[in-house]
Amino acid sequence: MTKINADKIFPENKISIEEIKSGIEKALALSEKLGASDAEIVFSIGESTSIQFKKDIIETAKQSTSAGYGVRAVVNGAVGFAGTNLMSDLENTLRTAVASAKVMEADPLFKNFPEKAVYKEVGGLFDDKIVDMSLDECIECATDMISGVKSIENMIPTSGGFSRSVSYFMIMNTDGLSAQRKGTAVSGFTDVTTASGEVSTAYDYNVSRKKDVDFTVIGKNAADLAKKSLKGISCGAEKMPVIFHPFSFADILENTLVPSVDADNIQKERSGLVGRLGDEIAHSDLSIIDNGTLEGGISSGAFDDEGTPTQKTTVIGNGILKSYLYDSYTAGKDNVKSTGNGYRYSYSSAPGVDFSNFIIDFPQSDVIAETKKGIYVNTVIGAHTANEISGDFSIEGRNAFLIENGEISKPIKSVMISGNIFEMLKNIDGAGKDVRSVGGIITPSIRISEMSVIGE
Amino acid sequence: MDQIQYYDANQIEGRSMTIILDNGKLETISKNSSKGAGIRALCCGSWGYTSIDGETDLETGIKNASELAASMNKNTPKERVILGDVPKRKVGSMPAIKINPEDISIEEKVELLREIEKYAKEESIKSTRVSYSESILMTRFMNSEGEEREYKTIKSGFSVSAVAAEGNNYQAGRESRFNIAGYEIFEKNDPYQLAKDAAETAKLLLKAKTPKGGALPVILDPELAGVFTHEAVGHASEADLVLQNDSVLSGKLGKQIASPKITVIDDPTLHEYGYYPFDAEGVPSEKTVLIKDGVLNSYMHSRETAGVFEGVSGNARAQGYSMPVVRMSNTYIDKGDATFEEMLEDIKDGIYLIGSRGGQVNTGEGVFQFNAEKGYLIQKGEITDLVRDVSLSGQTLDILNQIKMVGKDVKLHAGHCGKSGQTVPVTDGAPHISISKATVGGA
Repeated sequence: MTKINADKIFPENKISIEEIKSGIEKALALSEKLGASDAEIVFSIGESTSIQFKKDIIETAKQSTSAGYGVRAVVNGAVGFAGTNLMSDLENTLRTAVASAKVMEADPLFKNFPEKAVYKEVGGLFDDKIVDMSLDECIECATDMISGVKSIENMIPTSGGFSRSVSYFMIMNTDGLSAQRKGTAVSGFTDVTTASGEVSTAYDYNVSRKKDVDFTVIGKNAADLAKKSLKGISCGAEKMPVIFHPFSFADILENTLVPSVDADNIQKERSGLVGRLGDEIAHSDLSIIDNGTLEGGISSGAFDDEGTPTQKTTVIGNGILKSYLYDSYTAGKDNVKSTGNGYRYSYSSAPGVDFSNFIIDFPQSDVIAETKKGIYVNTVIGAHTANEISGDFSIEGRNAFLIENGEISKPIKSVMISGNIFEMLKNIDGAGKDVRSVGGIITPSIRISEMSVIGE
Repeated sequence: MDQIQYYDANQIEGRSMTIILDNGKLETISKNSSKGAGIRALCCGSWGYTSIDGETDLETGIKNASELAASMNKNTPKERVILGDVPKRKVGSMPAIKINPEDISIEEKVELLREIEKYAKEESIKSTRVSYSESILMTRFMNSEGEEREYKTIKSGFSVSAVAAEGNNYQAGRESRFNIAGYEIFEKNDPYQLAKDAAETAKLLLKAKTPKGGALPVILDPELAGVFTHEAVGHASEADLVLQNDSVLSGKLGKQIASPKITVIDDPTLHEYGYYPFDAEGVPSEKTVLIKDGVLNSYMHSRETAGVFEGVSGNARAQGYSMPVVRMSNTYIDKGDATFEEMLEDIKDGIYLIGSRGGQVNTGEGVFQFNAEKGYLIQKGEITDLVRDVSLSGQTLDILNQIKMVGKDVKLHAGHCGKSGQTVPVTDGAPHISISKATVGGA
């Protein structure tokens, strides 16, 4: 792996990575004297610039830096965690983590932190052009979104923003692991509404690790969708085919299937998929792969937040449940290898199981054209209210449309969709050619043969 | 450089701890300490904002924020922002803390959590989780108008959840209590009873049916009615959303928007989880009547939106040292005069929805969706079968007008509210309310 010159990435912050590294080494050496069998320290620093607009006015420029340490210390298998953002406080933080671990009961199921490994570099995660972006360039991206919205008649943004970020992450542990990685990202988001007359709203966004996003398109797409959603009709209560746009399908998956394949939930029996490995749980043409090595992937990296090399994990292969997702602790408990899915919200939280890039694969076709009657749902509200164990949900479809004779026809004002994710997986019978990455879930539009739909 | 007409800074220093006991195992003891500052500067119509983790040099921060604001103003000049005046108010009293949680040893806390968990471990309960958290936060505010204020808050809270299972049927129950309070939170709330309640809910839901959906008369319990108040009414009353055409209550000040039985209040001075003595712009907090007898009375304001509407500020809040945003505090429907029995008698056939699993709102179109934890069918004025996986959806203004009866039993529930990527502590509440017709989703 190439050596990262973090001093150069963050010139403003006067942080010397060599000094940070030697500080961490010193602390790790101290951990044994304090009574810890194992210790792990991560350091991360991130810098971001964001531009926010309200209506069509650029209002705020934000510049933020966040940096800190997260420490895990192990005593008799029990893991204590402590975090700080005071650079001078690393040793104290380590002492706190050790003291907490000493209070906890011994845990024979703890094996060890990930060992030193050879990493394969993942491409497309860092773009110097993002590092070098000037404030004026950032403002221009936001302006582009606004003009995209306004290119559609009678449409105006409600709010939105552009953001660029540069991050650096370092992890070292007492098993000799020492790794570092860096990343960049740009993102744009906008909510739109009608400038006058009947109210109709929509949103769109995009994220990329490279400076390759067309921000005008984000604004234009959102405005176009809001415009098409005007003059919605009511639909009755019936069962019919539903096609979910990548936005809505990803939203449902993230709140139902994703927690169900988390090994931690499996081990605690808080998942509808306990003991189902090897069972056919989905349509035989459906495969779902978690791929932390995806080039340019939003959640990609050579290693996860514990230092385990990332990999491709087949979660569902041709309809069969093949694997759960593991971090190092849950893997040790099941005597398997970590799938490289140990992630943290930030340096100040201990890692837990999470997906990386979740790729939904189903044979693609002109799925709308092949649908005689049904509804198309762009976004949903309330997906997080799903029962993540049973997989049951009842959500409100937004920017929904009737499909008649293979074409999107009239917009639907309001529609409630009820279902169960595990039944849905079996009833998938089509996918579009419109693959999108939605917060790490990469999916085409997906058709479900029959769902319960209630209009207003 | 163009002139900077205003700047302010929030410096925060805090410590927090979380303990999680999962299925009898002490899974997490996590401690965090942090320090940082968020600094804003206003140049004509442009805001510049910087935030820094760790030790901060205020002078450099103000300089950086000012430069950002000035270059923004140069690049995209716009109309000058006139900040509303700071209302002349006294800073109210702080909630009294009886037992500083940091004076209690971790061992004692863990012992208590173990004890609580036992009460949730009933037959057919597959798994349990008890968590505890505490935080101590110092907030220091200063601005270019010479204002300087500071306060310290101590927060404590706990939650218990239980999952019951029978074959492939899994159901969960959860109870939580959070407040600006010390360790006495365990005296003011009976954690053992709450653990039993969580287990009882999970077990009951195993036997519950899924109702047929449709448009029905509905009674909401105080918790779910509180979620409706917060999500559908409260957010739409935030002046920043109103200004950006993102509120169904835009242009409705002084108009009848709800049943005359409805009065909605936001009150940050209440000694509840959403309490603050002054907001993130240094403005002493005060109660705001949002809806009075069905008439939209006021929005909630920051100094910027107060300047536009000639309103009164005091609702600008920030998570840590993030940029201040117009937010709610303790928001509730005020008490009415109906009893629960009268509501049942009046509704005859419908559904009684209890508790909340969360919800979501489109404030611009005024459309919402909430999931109840559970519900009971109402048949011939009597409560009958238990139902689960029920959701409520509809148009905010429709529901506000269809409210038929308002109970006397206001209850507040503490939770966390997310907006603009920031989370702040709030409470929301209401008495029981009945609605003549709403869309209920089921299987």
